Amino acid sequence: MKSRLLLGMALLLGTSAAASAQSAMSPNAPPPPPAPVAVTPPPQAAADMQAVLDAHKALGAKPIETLSPAKARLQPSATDAARRVMRERGMSTAPDPAVTTKDVAYGADPQQFARIYTPAAVVGSGAQLPVVVYYHGGGWVIADVNVYDPTPRLLAKQLNAIVVSVEYRHAPEFKFPSQHEDAAAAYRWVLANAASWGGNPAKIALAGESAGGNLAVATAIYARDNGLTAPLHVLSVYPIANSAMQLPSKVDSANAKPLNTPMLKWFGHYYARTAADQMDPRVNLVGANLAGLPATTIINAQIDPLRSDGETLAQAMKKARVDVDQKTFPGVTHEFFGMGKVVRGAYDAELYAVAQLKKAFAR
Amino acid sequence: MKMLAFALPVAIAISAPAYAQALSPTEYVAMAGSGDMYEIQSSQTVLQTTQDPKIRTFAQMMIKHHTKSTADVKAAAAKSRIKPKPPMLMPAHAELLTQLQAETGPARDQTYIAQQKQAHAQALELHKSYAQGGTAPALKMAAAKIVPVVQQHIDMLKTM
Repeated sequence: MKSRLLLGMALLLGTSAAASAQSAMSPNAPPPPPAPVAVTPPPQAAADMQAVLDAHKALGAKPIETLSPAKARLQPSATDAARRVMRERGMSTAPDPAVTTKDVAYGADPQQFARIYTPAAVVGSGAQLPVVVYYHGGGWVIADVNVYDPTPRLLAKQLNAIVVSVEYRHAPEFKFPSQHEDAAAAYRWVLANAASWGGNPAKIALAGESAGGNLAVATAIYARDNGLTAPLHVLSVYPIANSAMQLPSKVDSANAKPLNTPMLKWFGHYYARTAADQMDPRVNLVGANLAGLPATTIINAQIDPLRSDGETLAQAMKKARVDVDQKTFPGVTHEFFGMGKVVRGAYDAELYAVAQLKKAFAR
Repeated sequence: MKMLAFALPVAIAISAPAYAQALSPTEYVAMAGSGDMYEIQSSQTVLQTTQDPKIRTFAQMMIKHHTKSTADVKAAAAKSRIKPKPPMLMPAHAELLTQLQAETGPARDQTYIAQQKQAHAQALELHKSYAQGGTAPALKMAAAKIVPVVQQHIDMLKTM
């Protein structure tokens, strides 16, 4: 009897192991087993930020960490939530017509393309504008250039610059370091082609949010190590930068929204080939050689498990004598940047980011 | 023996959710239905006001293609012996439509294109993942046939 039971169990385990091995790179790959839930409630968000979180819930957003990548990608985003708040307040959700866009391929995969944002007033004027290469967030698994439209559009308008928002291949279909390779390839491509779009390739900056905030810094490191034109500045908004899981923000904001600590583990489950990938200096930026990097601005949100990533990256950069400026904005959560029309903290952070980049381009 | 009979169902019940990661047939039909409905209604909305011939042609094509995919999914659901509820807009799609209706003139055109890019990226994900991992064979086949159509729309949108 005992042996038949064991056989039954072995068969069962065998099947499930085979199923998960087969599906590791599938968008239907199952999520990691749930981690014990932390009981600490996150700090209370400011009323205007809370309105966005409430709108996200009203749109039916489900907890990402319980879903497969395919289901997670079908969830409403924080950007959708901010637009709902705008619409409820009688504001237009139409894309700002002061900026025009075009989509251009930089590689053979359908995801290897960039959305080029150009200030409408200068189209065809022959002006040589500064260029910002921007990387979107989503933990390298979810979201795309469509979801992260507000920031590049805002930067193009406020800086009177060409902003190149880079789409890249996502995990788990393409695991780490595909995203870093695409980010670097896109940077090279922009250096080679910016002049044909009216951009000045010598006046270039890197920017990104979340996983894209990581890509901005990682690409600056790549440029340094490969002798490419260095960006004049790096704007890194709540980057993934420190793989230690016991950092203060990963505990005090473990249950925050729209990003919680279980989601960070969920992203790692899908983008990493092995646990070692999460300690790779391209992911764990605090462990990278940061010496000689361009001046960097790091923006964080108080109620965000990635807050300590940004704060510890700033410390590591200071230690490496990089000119770094870091600010943590109170009362706001992950994804607040770009919501300046409805969230005061986001408006302040956007002003700060724009001032930092303007200063860099004026030099 | 008794113990074995007891142990197996428990083990299966625990491991079953780990297998069922693709959308269920009912979830797939509901999401595809909502997506098509949003496509058709948003295209009708932009056709009321647009002066742009490129948008007009695109919107007319969307109505035609997404009416067909609704019918194809419905037929495949019947083959799979699933009786879906009539298509209904999910909250996120209803919100997009409300936003589009609130815009006028060229702002509506631009909102339409931005929404189309977002909605088609999600539609591709929906049909592609179901074609790969769905459990109802007829629906899986329908999804696989819809994938290249959605991809074609995405390629067109990249020029807009």
